[in-house]
Amino acid sequence: MKNAFLRYIILRVLQCLMVIFVGITVTFMIPRFTPVDPVEQAITRMTMFQQSTHPEALEEMRASLATLYGLEGSVFEQYLGFWGRLFRGDLGPSLSSFPRPVMTLIRTSLPWTAGLLLTSTIIAWSLGNIIGAFAGYFHHKKWSQVLGVMALVVWPIPYYIFAFLLLVLLAYVIPIFPLSGAFAIGSSPGLNWNFISSVLRHGFLPALSIVAIGFGGQFLGMRSLVSNVISEDYILYAEIAGVPNHRILKNYVIRNALLPQITGLALQLGMIFNGAMITEFVFSYPGIGYLAYTAIFSGDFGLIMGIAIFSIVAVALAVLIIDLLYPVFDPRVKLR
Amino acid sequence: MKSKYFVIAVGLVLALLLGSFAATAQDFAEIAPGVARHETLILENPEGRIADPDRFNRWAPGGGASTGLQQLALDALWFVDPNAGIDGEPWNNALAAEGPIYNEDFTQMTVNLREGIFWSDGVPFTAADVVFTVETLRANPGMSYHNQLALLVDEVYATDDYTVVFDLTRSNSRFHAMFTVRWAAMFIMPKHIWEVVDDPLAFDFNPPVSLGPYVLKDFDPTGHWFLWERREDWERTSLGMQYGMPAPKYALYTAPGPADQRVMAQANQNLDVIHDLSPEGVQAVISRNPTSRGWFEGFPWAHPDPTLPAVIINHEVEPLGDNEVRWALQLAIDIAGVSMASYSGAATVSALHAPPTGMYKEWYFDPMEDWLLNYTIELAGEQYQPYNPDATLAIANMVRPSLGDQVPTDEAEIKKALGYGWWNYDTDMAEKILLDKGFTRNRQGNWLLPDGTPWTIDILCMGASNPTMTRVATMIAEQWTRFGVPSEAVVSDQLWNRMNYGDFETAIAWSIETWGGHHDFFFFLESWHSDFWRTSGELASGTNRMRWQHPELDRIIDEIRGIDFDDPRGFELGMDFLKLAVEETPLIPLMSYNVFAVTDWYFWEGFPTSDNPYANPVANWSNTRFMFPMLRPTGRQ
Repeated sequence: MKNAFLRYIILRVLQCLMVIFVGITVTFMIPRFTPVDPVEQAITRMTMFQQSTHPEALEEMRASLATLYGLEGSVFEQYLGFWGRLFRGDLGPSLSSFPRPVMTLIRTSLPWTAGLLLTSTIIAWSLGNIIGAFAGYFHHKKWSQVLGVMALVVWPIPYYIFAFLLLVLLAYVIPIFPLSGAFAIGSSPGLNWNFISSVLRHGFLPALSIVAIGFGGQFLGMRSLVSNVISEDYILYAEIAGVPNHRILKNYVIRNALLPQITGLALQLGMIFNGAMITEFVFSYPGIGYLAYTAIFSGDFGLIMGIAIFSIVAVALAVLIIDLLYPVFDPRVKLR
Repeated sequence: MKSKYFVIAVGLVLALLLGSFAATAQDFAEIAPGVARHETLILENPEGRIADPDRFNRWAPGGGASTGLQQLALDALWFVDPNAGIDGEPWNNALAAEGPIYNEDFTQMTVNLREGIFWSDGVPFTAADVVFTVETLRANPGMSYHNQLALLVDEVYATDDYTVVFDLTRSNSRFHAMFTVRWAAMFIMPKHIWEVVDDPLAFDFNPPVSLGPYVLKDFDPTGHWFLWERREDWERTSLGMQYGMPAPKYALYTAPGPADQRVMAQANQNLDVIHDLSPEGVQAVISRNPTSRGWFEGFPWAHPDPTLPAVIINHEVEPLGDNEVRWALQLAIDIAGVSMASYSGAATVSALHAPPTGMYKEWYFDPMEDWLLNYTIELAGEQYQPYNPDATLAIANMVRPSLGDQVPTDEAEIKKALGYGWWNYDTDMAEKILLDKGFTRNRQGNWLLPDGTPWTIDILCMGASNPTMTRVATMIAEQWTRFGVPSEAVVSDQLWNRMNYGDFETAIAWSIETWGGHHDFFFFLESWHSDFWRTSGELASGTNRMRWQHPELDRIIDEIRGIDFDDPRGFELGMDFLKLAVEETPLIPLMSYNVFAVTDWYFWEGFPTSDNPYANPVANWSNTRFMFPMLRPTGRQ
């Protein structure tokens, strides 16, 4: 039994490492096969508003930029150099914010994305699943049906429209929330009430938009799962045996229906490192999503890879953790 | 018991939220503690969020340019305003006391500097700063202007504290253009700060020591805003010395987000200068906020930048290398339709290869109107007059039903706002040209090349990053398709790179950018000389992405190169170029690049407008600095 468990863990860890290796390799290759050339992008940026550049000067500029950006040599040589740096925790310089290290840019944006998405994802997941479970179990009740209709109305609304409506309503028509940004001008970042309250106020609308839409999906999913579970024989048996409703719901219904939702949550948490591009755009909120967008359009290989690596590792680790913890949630899963 | 804890928890959360919302009350009185709203000018930074906001090294990649840095803190030797300039003088001697002084063969340039200017840390500005800047950039690959300086400058030295001499490696009558701000230029570094820096490329220059009338007060570490405060010794700067105290005590450059947010922010009096909007966006903000206005008070609102969006044609792609074929395509464009589709009629169109902006109407468009009216070209063996002087009157008539009184009725006013004439929309003549060239039509009515293969055209455009130009491409594709040349607007994020390498047939973009406030065309024409010409597949070394060559063009460029920047002969040579371009159609000129900058006159008045065109109001231009001393507070708080 002990050997089987050990083998299970080793296999899963190897699988995870393989996923990370392949993912990072693909991430390294893809930008190099796109028509975006960071050197040409840089030249275009540098000469956009200048007078003519002499042909000789232009050729020299190209050569010196390729050297600076580490884009000399074959793709394979660049690939080996990339892994060498990666093992030292160095993701190299950003090409669009050269010579700023990619790690520094990610470090600035990640806390905002993580703070916003972690909170709103967990709130949406918890509310959606708890209320969805009740609504599924008490599906004949009026309130359950009303909630179902509300979720059905909100959930299909395209996210950007819903977010924009919130913005117009609560930042323009009734201007109680700010239109953009992460905190007020003049509040110094740190553990002080001014800053914290400002962050809460600025983050409220983006979080509300994610929670509202996320809640709808979780609610509908859980309600549907619960509807299936309550038709199982063991539930019928428990009811006939006179087990109180709240115990049936808690111990038999939710526990069984929650399993696929837990996997979903783990993946969602892993995806946090991708950022929330639309949220960040609509609310002008600083984060990884906007950073990734600008990196793609400016051909910033280093930054694209840095963000993708974080995301790949996070998703792979989330899946690994769920794989390892699954037997705890579901005793029916036996190790073979 | 449990419910009691629940009530307490809910109460705490509500208190937290209410406490945080209480901050709302201060929003309109102060934008930050101690920073009064009525003392602050809030401008949009169109670059959006800056990923590395603590980088102020404007001489190397990274950081933001339009964060107020190049507007309020950096300074250059000279500026040219794209409009009329303050007191009707677009040329401004900023750090220089007078214009550039060249020797007879333009191999040496001497600059006399203004005295009495100080850096914000109290150190005097001298010739040593200029020499140091040039030498630092020349010595460090990867820094702005490095390669050009390495190529063009033999030696730079100071003969005294306020005189700098450049010995050039070759004759160059426009060397000073590198130091002259149109949008930006080579700004001067503080030697006393940079001389102790090991790696100038990596140095962040944070906080920036300012040579302009403002200093950095605070900035958002996430890159959304930058707050500047007027220097106490503002009179010791080139701007303050010339035009007096800049009125706003503070300037806030902010990234307010997408267009809808910009409209909402200005309607709530939280954004004084919007950089750009769509025509529909302008109407939305003006209808919500009575104190908002564009460059023109009514239609067409926009400020015409001295840039000429055009159909860029690759002459190396057959049959586009044939001038008469290009003429046929030009005559198959209905400019009124293009104007309506792109700018809702608010375009300033141009038949000439120069943007119809700033002083150019007076310098070029007025003098050439008679020439255009009488212009005859031989097409398909016929003598043909292609110019339609009433093209923009037709556009005005098209928009009048929806905009009523906002559209001028006076012919001169219409031409001032919408441009002069354009080329005939004459598909009959276009057809004659093609038939004369051996083209034929197939059964569907589409054109076949003389060798019998179907003729199609791709028009590259920028897509979502420039919706207006994309609408131009779509409309022209529709018009050419209707004429029988199946055409498609192809969105490419790599438009500039593809044009630079000649990997395109046609594109909606620009290759002609001018000073606006100076008649000299050398700014863009230099790279159109055949010495600079590169074939498709090689990187174009300037703006001749069309790959056009012509001996007469070389003659004009050579002659401009040999005369002084201010030589009146430059006007004649400019007109020679415009006539040649009409004849040869290297590209199809369309309109000026209209920027829908909207200013809010609630807290401040005196912004530049078409009636008082002393500066460019478009916030990312370095020369918006000239706005600051001209503004006046309205007294509203």
